Amino acid sequence: MTPGSAVTRPAQRSRNLRTSRWLLVRLGGAVFVMWAVATLTFFAIRLIPGDPAEAVLGGPGSQASQETLDQVRADYGLDLPLGVQYLNALGRLLSGDLGTSYALKVPVAELLLAQIGGTLVLALAALALAWLLALLLSLWSTGGGRIAAALGQGIELTSAALPHFWLATVLIAVFSSALGWLPPVSTGGAAGLVLPTLTLAIPLAGFLAQVMRETLLDTLDAPFIISARARGESERGIRLRHALRHASLPAISLSGWALGYLISGAVVVETIFARPGLGRTLLQAVTLRDVPIVTGVVLLVALVYILMTIITDAASRLADPRLRSAETGR
Amino acid sequence: MHSNPRPRVRGLASVAAAAGISLLVAGCQATPGETSSTPVAGGTLTYASGDAEPTCLEPHVGGNYPQALIAGQFLESLVSRDADGTIIPWLATEWSVSEDNLSWDFTLKDDVTFTDGTPLNAEAVKVNVEHLKDPATESSTGYLALGKVESVEAVSETVARFTLSAPDSALLESLSQPWVAIQSPAGIARGMEENCQAPIGTGPFIVDEWVKQDHISLVRNDDYTSPPADAKHDGKAYLEAIEWRFLPDSASRYAALQGGQVDVIDNAQPDTIASAEKTETLTHLDAPRPGASNRIELNSGTAPFNDVAVREAFIRAVDVNDGIESLYFGSAERSYSPLSSVEATGYSDESLFDTDVDAANALLDSAGWTERDADGYRVKDGARLSLDFPVSTNQSIPAEQSLFEQIQATAKDAGFEVNISLLDLSSWYGVLAENNYDLVSAPYTKVGPDVLRILYHSDGITPAPSGYFANLSQVNNPELDGLLTAASEISDADARADLYEQAQQIILEGFHILPLYDQQNHFLLGTQVKDARALPTVSTPTFYDTWLSGN
Amino acid sequence: MSELDLRTAAASAAPARRSRPSVGEILALGFVLFLLVATVAPGILTAIDPNAINAREAFQGPSLEHWFGTDESGRDIYSRVIAGTSTSLLIGVTATAIGLALGLALGVLAGFGGRVLDFSVNRTIEVLFAFPGLLLALLVIVIAGPGPVTATIAVGLSTAPGYARIIRGQLVGIRTSAYVESARVLGHPPWRILTRHILPNGLAPLVVLATLGIGQAVVWAAALSYLGLGAQPPSAEWGAMLSAGRTYIGTAWWLTVFPGLMIVLTTIATTVLGRRLSRRTGGQR
Repeated sequence: MTPGSAVTRPAQRSRNLRTSRWLLVRLGGAVFVMWAVATLTFFAIRLIPGDPAEAVLGGPGSQASQETLDQVRADYGLDLPLGVQYLNALGRLLSGDLGTSYALKVPVAELLLAQIGGTLVLALAALALAWLLALLLSLWSTGGGRIAAALGQGIELTSAALPHFWLATVLIAVFSSALGWLPPVSTGGAAGLVLPTLTLAIPLAGFLAQVMRETLLDTLDAPFIISARARGESERGIRLRHALRHASLPAISLSGWALGYLISGAVVVETIFARPGLGRTLLQAVTLRDVPIVTGVVLLVALVYILMTIITDAASRLADPRLRSAETGR
Repeated sequence: MHSNPRPRVRGLASVAAAAGISLLVAGCQATPGETSSTPVAGGTLTYASGDAEPTCLEPHVGGNYPQALIAGQFLESLVSRDADGTIIPWLATEWSVSEDNLSWDFTLKDDVTFTDGTPLNAEAVKVNVEHLKDPATESSTGYLALGKVESVEAVSETVARFTLSAPDSALLESLSQPWVAIQSPAGIARGMEENCQAPIGTGPFIVDEWVKQDHISLVRNDDYTSPPADAKHDGKAYLEAIEWRFLPDSASRYAALQGGQVDVIDNAQPDTIASAEKTETLTHLDAPRPGASNRIELNSGTAPFNDVAVREAFIRAVDVNDGIESLYFGSAERSYSPLSSVEATGYSDESLFDTDVDAANALLDSAGWTERDADGYRVKDGARLSLDFPVSTNQSIPAEQSLFEQIQATAKDAGFEVNISLLDLSSWYGVLAENNYDLVSAPYTKVGPDVLRILYHSDGITPAPSGYFANLSQVNNPELDGLLTAASEISDADARADLYEQAQQIILEGFHILPLYDQQNHFLLGTQVKDARALPTVSTPTFYDTWLSGN
Repeated sequence: MSELDLRTAAASAAPARRSRPSVGEILALGFVLFLLVATVAPGILTAIDPNAINAREAFQGPSLEHWFGTDESGRDIYSRVIAGTSTSLLIGVTATAIGLALGLALGVLAGFGGRVLDFSVNRTIEVLFAFPGLLLALLVIVIAGPGPVTATIAVGLSTAPGYARIIRGQLVGIRTSAYVESARVLGHPPWRILTRHILPNGLAPLVVLATLGIGQAVVWAAALSYLGLGAQPPSAEWGAMLSAGRTYIGTAWWLTVFPGLMIVLTTIATTVLGRRLSRRTGGQR
């Protein structure tokens, strides 16, 4: 054992302690948020006009008899006092049971598990493509002179302003109907993923490129870049090796937000491109007043969002030690 | 998925297709042309539905049109209907009725088994009817259709006896509907959750897999023996499989058909029908639904439409013909009847629906709506002549919503204020249940003219426990009630038709409804799809005789 | 983070590189002025009744008589786009106002309410964030019923947590800033510090936030209209026009393209102006 390590050990221990305390606080916060989301959703959904028993009976306008309605209320525990229903729902949640869909009569957890894959694939593909487009755009607009800068900004602004459903319509009209290059609906293969991914990625890329361009411009003025230039590195090398790495740092911290944004967009995109996924499930459940599914989707999305935020925060802490000391002061 | 890449233009086949439309309506006979007229077995047909994905594939549960659309591929009914509206044998070969019209004997085909191996017998029919009437089944449409059936007993292996509480002239029509199709008793016994996933029937296809929000795979039933009497061939279907997909967005659905990703789409929008008819690669199957026509109901239960003069004024004031022509591109024909044009008992009276704004103004003046306010709307005793028009975005296609907007605009000239609110299905039913409407368009599909009793008998004003009621125009006319009840119990066909004609006269002349057109039900098919037709029961497509050319 | 965070991040990261307005900024200003005229006095821009129906003239392409063509009921699309400006902007502005007001309330509570309040408001914001935009909006609409008012409130609510987080951050920054510290040292009472120093400095960026938010609110409201949950006919709201015209994209592109263009241009113009403003306020502080 060297004298040096004897000195660092308590410091490291305290850092580990700090990190685990941080993680504990974050996880505790996550549990709280999940509980709050579950509670809020449970009671908010009770405010929806209409009888949940009708949702069970093939939707509104059901001509079901009184016996049938009573039967359904008893089957789904809808005749119990609200407080009891709430506790029952919480108890089931704790054991990972999201209940049974009113309309589809299958366990919600099973259904959502089958649906989340499609949405995640779409969201991650769109996220990756958006980052790529944003990177290319910001590299070009910062390094191509005044015209490129102006054009680049114009493209950023325009793409960020495109409503998803409009963009989707235009993409289908051009690439499917007119040119016949790509299928307008999900086909299970990679070709079917192209248009929905583009629809989600283009506006997001617009947002990201705005941030990246500004970071890139700031970084290019930083001292270490100037010294790299002085060392005689090529401008292209500087951009790719140094500036880009710094400009990409916000990537980590923005991904949580971007995922939420993409899931919102998925509601529209999955409907237009007929892709199976959480967004479409949610929209259908909302129109059918299928309470267990709506609750399930909201909880699942909240969970994904919270986990993503914790992961990105942890990654930022790893990448930037300053954050660790700053966090504890909060 | 239909795997062959498809050439965009087809010679002979497309000529055949151009001639095919009217034939398809009539039940799709042989497609003319030499090389393409012999059916070829094999291939997978991809069907894209714009209707909501069913929540349960068993049409006994609930009972709506999306369920009927797909159930027709794997479930069959006791009887069917031919293109003329005559009831024809299907699972039952013959039937007879007792003197008092309270007891019906159905003789079943004796060589039919369900696809799980269970034999089709009288006991199975009994189990099905009991299943439909059991509250735990949560049946709505089928339950209503069998309202007068008290019990079923198995007289022998092949004879099922239905005992009724009152004579029912609509029994056969009711039994032809997919919502009372016959399922395997063993399948029913599995319980609702499993049976909803893959009901077991006697049909030409079998439910293989249901991937929620994506598709349902149907495979051929190789032991199939029970086609309806008007089918074109015997034995198993030509198609090996059907992939049934759900593409809710009408623009992408049509684009998918154009691109060859799918072979058939339903809920085709009028503008795409018009452009499809101009291409050589697509054919159009127009299959109006039976039962009621698409009509706007005038709520005569509350002011201002409790005054017949105001109702007539509204109908005289609005102009719908130009709108139907431009919005539907010639795919919808104006109706002047409460019943669909496929119902032989339908009665029309065009003279009642001439647009005449002067007459409308005179009627309103005489009804006391003499003043107009600053916005040009009529006023009486300080109240504006205002009409609430809740519109369901699920049930009214965009063209229809636009037509309603045009009605809104033309009604304004006569001084009516029409407040359209676009609502999702749940909210729409909510507004109706609260009686907060003056105008409403509510499609109702049922085989046969008995739909008139459901829609216009005063019993239909009393809401079901859920708040739903079918008599949305709230016609309360003892004479009409008498005619409809008598018609539902009479056994003589001509006398029945006569009673229904009188009933329709009362409905039309009382200005209770503004008929628009048949319930639109349009399919577009790639020309490679041959011999597809709609069943003349509730106009759902059947692919038993269908084959794919060029496979 | 919300879109607004991104936008303000982008905007404030940019140093005041130019003081003279660029061509883009002048164009943006011009377009916003055009929108204002269309809102206040649409009669100046068009003489045609936006709701005049003529079924016989449906689906006509752009021409000298109908600059943007006619829609499925033969109505003039140009005059409808002009007439729809006030409705669409009203939805955007009101939604932004609701979001800002809520965000301000939460942000002030968190920024000045002490540790406990800060902690609980932060958790509330986190909970709200866990419902991504459209999800929250959908929930609100299902509960309150669809319509333009609910859509506006829904969009406002779903943007509130984003504003709250930014505002809290700003206020905390100001509270710990040198001049507030010195005011405290000088013995000024807290309420005076709040009204004299903190709020004026914290509120200036709100103008910027609002400008940036309006465009996005218009886009969200349009998405809700597409889902059939927004404005009602015969209202010429852009989102409603867009979703009604979408059906006919294959046969009559002008039904969707022009209202879509208005939404996109409005968003761009307000963003450009918002960024300009934020650079200026950023420079002043």
